Amino acid sequence: MENDFERRPSPYEAAASLRDLAADRHALANGVQVPKMLMAALGGVAAWWVAGAAAANPGENYEPPTSGWLGLVAALVIAHLIRRETGIRFRQMGLRAGLVAVAILVLCLALFSISLGLVSFGARWAVVLTSLCAFGMVTWLAGIAFRSALDQLRR
Amino acid sequence: MTKAQFDDLIHAPARLRICGVLRQVEQMDFAVLRDTLDVSDATLSKHLKTLAEAGYVSLSKAASVSRSDARRLTWITLTRAGRNAFDAHLRALHEIAGIAD
Repeated sequence: MENDFERRPSPYEAAASLRDLAADRHALANGVQVPKMLMAALGGVAAWWVAGAAAANPGENYEPPTSGWLGLVAALVIAHLIRRETGIRFRQMGLRAGLVAVAILVLCLALFSISLGLVSFGARWAVVLTSLCAFGMVTWLAGIAFRSALDQLRR
Repeated sequence: MTKAQFDDLIHAPARLRICGVLRQVEQMDFAVLRDTLDVSDATLSKHLKTLAEAGYVSLSKAASVSRSDARRLTWITLTRAGRNAFDAHLRALHEIAGIAD
């Protein structure tokens, strides 16, 4: 049985306690696996959203697709599943993970714009390529963001 | 800035480690905390009960689709009081150890 401490620790014991806390933080970060399937699911949502450009009608009669809201809901559901899968709800993701998240948004917008351009030139088939690019890049970047958040746990 | 305050309840080794891990996250599943600290369910439950009675942690249950039985996930949160007490205790440890924050 463990008794409560009734005396102050020595400087050596206090330093040892602080070292133990640092070791636990590393153990926590090292023990969490990147949920690769869910990272790929985020990539899938991005690919699906970019592919929506193929059904759009660029030009004067262009109407933005409503799939953006569905994509946002899907991304939030996946974020919830990531939390369930890893058993961790992060307090803060860190600057690097935040920058990667912004990069994902910018990338998706850029690929969607490129896809609209391709459709306007009659190359609707080429949207397959931009969608595949969105899938690969977002899956990769989401993994980087998650690993950055794990690194944040070590500090 | 948090004032240094040694907390006997937190300083028990297992409870210090529990608070140290929980301080890094918003919430954590019981199983992840148990595996990180490499302690038994009973040991962790006992110390969590002590911390909860002091108002330092809160526990909430959630259904688990990945489990075939009726068990539920237990999410653990370090409360605001727990965070303040742990931060103050950490500062006290730094002072005792003679380490600048």
